[in-house]
Amino acid sequence: MPRTSRFEGHLLIAPLTAFLIALLGFPLVLDVVYSVSRVGFENIRAPELIGFSNYAKAVADPEFWAAAWFSLRFGLIVAVIQMVAGLGLAVFLAPLFAKRPWLIALLMLPMMVAPALVGLMYRLILHEFVGAVPYYLLEWYGDFPAFLGRDWAFTTLVTIETLQWTPFALLILHSSYAAISPDIREAASLDGARGRRLFLNIDLPLMMPALGITFFIRFIDSFRVFDNLYTLVGPGAGGSTTSMSIYIYQAFFKVGDIGLAVAASMLLLVASFVVLWAINRFTARKAPL
Amino acid sequence: MTRLKTLLTSAALFAALGVTGAMAEVTVLGWPGGPEEAGLRKAADAYNTTASDADKVKLIFFNRDGFFDKLAADLAAGSTDFDVNLLATYALGRYAPFMDPITLPEASKSTFPEKVLATMQYDGKQYGIPTDLSLHFMYYRTDLIEKLLSDADWKAKYGEISEKYLGKKLEPKDPDAWAWEDWMATALFFTKSINSDSPTRYGTVLQMKNLLFNMMVWQSTARAQGGDWLNDKGEVIVDSPAYRAALDIYKKLYDEGTSPKDSTTYEFAEANAAFGAGQAATMLQWNAAFGDLDNKEKTPAVAGKIGTVAPPAGPEGRFTHIHGLGLGINKASQHKEGAVKFLNWLGTPDAMEIYSKAGGSPALSDAVVAKVSAERPDLVKLGQYAGSYGFVMHGGTAAKALQVYELQAKEFTAYWSGGKSLDDALAATKTGMAELLKP
Repeated sequence: MPRTSRFEGHLLIAPLTAFLIALLGFPLVLDVVYSVSRVGFENIRAPELIGFSNYAKAVADPEFWAAAWFSLRFGLIVAVIQMVAGLGLAVFLAPLFAKRPWLIALLMLPMMVAPALVGLMYRLILHEFVGAVPYYLLEWYGDFPAFLGRDWAFTTLVTIETLQWTPFALLILHSSYAAISPDIREAASLDGARGRRLFLNIDLPLMMPALGITFFIRFIDSFRVFDNLYTLVGPGAGGSTTSMSIYIYQAFFKVGDIGLAVAASMLLLVASFVVLWAINRFTARKAPL
Repeated sequence: MTRLKTLLTSAALFAALGVTGAMAEVTVLGWPGGPEEAGLRKAADAYNTTASDADKVKLIFFNRDGFFDKLAADLAAGSTDFDVNLLATYALGRYAPFMDPITLPEASKSTFPEKVLATMQYDGKQYGIPTDLSLHFMYYRTDLIEKLLSDADWKAKYGEISEKYLGKKLEPKDPDAWAWEDWMATALFFTKSINSDSPTRYGTVLQMKNLLFNMMVWQSTARAQGGDWLNDKGEVIVDSPAYRAALDIYKKLYDEGTSPKDSTTYEFAEANAAFGAGQAATMLQWNAAFGDLDNKEKTPAVAGKIGTVAPPAGPEGRFTHIHGLGLGINKASQHKEGAVKFLNWLGTPDAMEIYSKAGGSPALSDAVVAKVSAERPDLVKLGQYAGSYGFVMHGGTAAKALQVYELQAKEFTAYWSGGKSLDDALAATKTGMAELLKP
C-alpha cells in the first residue's frame, strides 16, 4: 500500500479509535484498578491497592458460583427453548408469512417492550389480587401455584423470557428459511425427499449457521439477565433468583463492596470473551455454507 | 423566515431556562412520588414567596427505585447537582462522610420532640431536619373484629382453632390488647383454608420479599420478644431465643397459609393490594399506607372499615420500629449559605404546618401537632406511638446498617421460604453482621 494511502487510512480511522479508547478503554482500565483495590463509596476516588484478593474472594464465595450457575442454567434453557420454538414457528408459519408478511411485524411487538416494564407487567398479571392469571385459575380450578415463589420462580422467569424473545429467534430463522433456494428443495423432491426427510436433510443443515447464531445471541442476552428479573422478583427469597448481573449489582450498590463487584464483573468479562471467541470460530467455519 | 422564527423561538426558550436557573439557587433533592413530595412542593412554594432570588429553592426528584443507591453514588462522586438532599435514619452512617453536620435552629427544638430530632443524629452530630417519621401500625378490619368480639359461634371457633394450631385455647381480644399470639390466632381464624366460614381468604398478609425494608417491618416482632442486634459489649446477638421466636411467628403463619402464597415476593404495594382487596383481615404495615387504604375511591372494599393500633406486645413489651426521613446538606454543595437558610426555615412550626397539611408525615411536638390535628388526626397517633413504642436496634444507624438489613433479608427469607434451616440462617446472619459491624 502506498505510504500516502496508509496515512490517510490511519487518519480516517483515528477518530473512531479515539472514541473507542475513551468509551471502552478508560472504563476498562478503571475496572482493572478497582478490581485489585479495596474500594467502597467512602474512598471511591482514592482506592487502596490490595492485589488479587477481590478475585480470590469472588471465587471463594459460594454465592458467586450460585449466581453463575443460575445465569448459565437460565441462559442455556431459555436459548434452547427460544431456538426450537423460533425454528418451529419459522417453518410452520412460512406459507402464512409468504402471503401476509405484515404478520411478522405483529409478532415482533413483544420485543418492543422494555424488559423492566415486562417484569412490572407480569408482577401485576401474576399478583393474586389484581392479576388476571391467578384470578381465572382460581375460578376454573380452585387453586393456582405461587408463580413467583421459590419453587416456581425459575419456571415463571423462563416462560416470560421465552414469550418476549422468541420473536427474535423467529425473525432470524424465518430469514434463513426463506433464503433457502427453492431449486435445492425441488431437486431434493425429484430425488424422492418429502416432508420430514426434506426438512432434516436439506433445510436443517442449511439453517445450522443461523441456528448457531440465534442460540448464542439468545444465550448471551439471557445469561446477563437483569432488568425484568430484578423488577419481577429481585434476588428472590434467600437469593434464589440471583443472576450474575444481580450478584454484581448487589455487591456494588447494596453491600458497597465495589472491589468485589468489579472483580466479579471482570471474571464475567473473561468468560464472555471465551464465549464470543467460540461464536466467532463457529460462525467463521460455517460461513461458506 | 421559518429559520429566523426557529432561531428566535430557541433563543427565547434558552433565555427562559436561564432565568429559571438563575432564580433557583438552592437545589433540593427530595423523596419522590408520594405524600412527602406533595408536602415538600407546598413548603418550597411557601418559602420561595419570601426568599430572596439568590436563596430560592428548586426541587428535583429521582425515581424511588434504587434511590439510595443512586444518591450514594452521586454523593461519593462529589456531585454538585443538589445542595440539600434526603436522609434516612438507617442510611445516616452511609452518607455522613459526604454531608455537612448542621446546627439546629432554636425553633426546631420546639417543633420536634427530642426523640425525633435524634433520628437525624449520627456520631453525636445532627445531620438533618426530620421531615417525616415512619413506623408501623397493625391494621385490622374493624367490621370483622367487632363481629369476632361479639359473635358466640365465632368466639367458640376461635378457641378451637387457637387450641389446634397454637396449642392453647385463646379468647378473642381487642386489637389494642393483642399479644403476638393473639394476632396469630386471629390470622388463623380469618384464613379460609383453616376456617371455611371466614369472610376473608387470608388472616393476614406478610411482607417477606428479600428486601431490607421488610426486615424493618418484621423486626418489631423480634424486639417485642427481647431481640436486639448488639449487646452492651457490642457483640452480635441475633442468634438469641428472641430472634428464633420472632422468625418462627412469620414462618408458622406462612406455612399455615394465613398469608398469600406469593408473600415471599411481597413488599409495601403488594401487601396493600391484598388488604385493600378486602381479602386479608390484618396487616402489619407502614403508617404511610393508611391514607390510600382509607380512601373510598382507591380502596372501596375496606375504606372506612380500618382500625390501626401499635404492633402487638411480646414478653419484653410493645415496640414499633421507627426511622425518620429528613433533609441535610451535601458536603459538595456550592450554595451552603442558602441551603442552611432553607433548612432553618423548614424546622419552624409554620413550615411544618404547611408540610403536614400538604401530605407530609412529620412527628411534631404536642403544641405544633395541635394546629394540624383536625386535618391530620393520624399525626397525633404517629407522635404518640413514636414516643411510647419507638425503637432503633443497637447498631441501627451504623455506617453499614443498610447492609445488615440486606443480609438479614437474604438469610431470613431463605428460612421462611424453606431454603435454609433456622440454625444455618442465624449462624450466617451472625457471622455476616459481626463482619459488617466490627469497629
